[in-house]
Amino acid sequence: MALETYVSGKRDEVHTDVLLQARQACYKARDAFYSCLENHSDKKPTEIGAVGLLYPTECKRSREEYVKNCRVSWVKHFDRQYCKTKRTQRLLDDKETRRGV
Amino acid sequence: MATALWRNATRLRNVHRCLHARSLSQFRSPIPSLTTIADAFHAPSLPPLRPVVTVGAEFKSLGIYGRYLSNSTTAPNENQEKSSSSSKTNSEETQNTGDSQQSSGAAGKPVRGGPVSWLSFLLLLATGIGIILYYDNLKKRHIEEISNASKAVKEGPSAGKAAIGGPFSLINDEGKRVTEKDFMGKWSLVYFGFTHCPDICPDELQKLAAAIDKIKEKAGIEVVPVFISVDPERDTVEQVHEYVKEFHPKLVGLTGSPEEIKKVARSYRVYYMKTAEEDSDYLVDHSIVMYLMDPKMEFVKFFGKNNDIDSLTDGVIKEIKQHKK
Repeated sequence: MALETYVSGKRDEVHTDVLLQARQACYKARDAFYSCLENHSDKKPTEIGAVGLLYPTECKRSREEYVKNCRVSWVKHFDRQYCKTKRTQRLLDDKETRRGV
Repeated sequence: MATALWRNATRLRNVHRCLHARSLSQFRSPIPSLTTIADAFHAPSLPPLRPVVTVGAEFKSLGIYGRYLSNSTTAPNENQEKSSSSSKTNSEETQNTGDSQQSSGAAGKPVRGGPVSWLSFLLLLATGIGIILYYDNLKKRHIEEISNASKAVKEGPSAGKAAIGGPFSLINDEGKRVTEKDFMGKWSLVYFGFTHCPDICPDELQKLAAAIDKIKEKAGIEVVPVFISVDPERDTVEQVHEYVKEFHPKLVGLTGSPEEIKKVARSYRVYYMKTAEEDSDYLVDHSIVMYLMDPKMEFVKFFGKNNDIDSLTDGVIKEIKQHKK
């Protein structure tokens, strides 16, 4: 998918991978991958994704699906967003462990 | 006049004597000296006085007060006498510091009426109250004016319009060149985005489409949704056409050359910037705003990302109704 867009980007063609169906497919794959991450959050992350997102080997397959269905920039965008939300969530949860600060 | 002055001088000396005696005999306590002197002067008879702080301070203030009193009560045509008598009063007071027995030494001229009487006190009070009331009234009126002015502003865009919007010349998704004049006569909601947007633009455009339908349903008003691309290099006419037709049949897509887009973005104060990751695949960072434009293509209100469909619908309907008034 990414290769295709790279090639076709030079020509005056419609990029179908940003249209509705492609978007839906991408969202679905993305959600599948992230839910896989949630399910296996206790496992040790060994693989590394695009922007440093770590994930365990169990989710490798859904990761591939995800990358296949979405544009590279979108993958990066979603991963970055996911890391950000994870970090803020961790900060919010951590508040309870620190007392008297 | 001289008698009046003489009586004043006598009174001053008496007061001073009493105060001095008190201070010498009693323990010093921190009470402001001026108030005690004021008390002493305003009563026709000398009441028992409270102890004062220091002799020196009290004596100086007495001197000042005495001079003030004598100046205020004497007639203007007797300046010389006044100054001489006040200086005489002062000098007499200085002489009285250590010696309290010298009071009747300079007796002679009788004094008719004191410089400070009940009448003068009442006049002072009346003037003071009059001034306070006058300025209070003035202040109240001023505050009322301000609050009225601010209230008037809230009731409509009469405070002047924001300098958003302006003429543009772009190509719509059918390849036709359009200007802002083609959108006049109907209300429009303008959204800036780009087709390669991962999730935000699709969500916003879906929201926009749903709101347009809801507005039509609720108020029967036709609002034209407009999508302007901030990524002219990738968003060709066909691209935009394919993109917008999926959201709403009435959604108009606009694109153009980079310069034209830059001009439009500037007039609408839209921020957009390419996040240069790779040459072919990049995202465009842009401000997420929907602009409501009236039939004259003048800016009315903007709606941010935080509004959901219903608040967007209600906001637009409210603005249109208010504008028509």
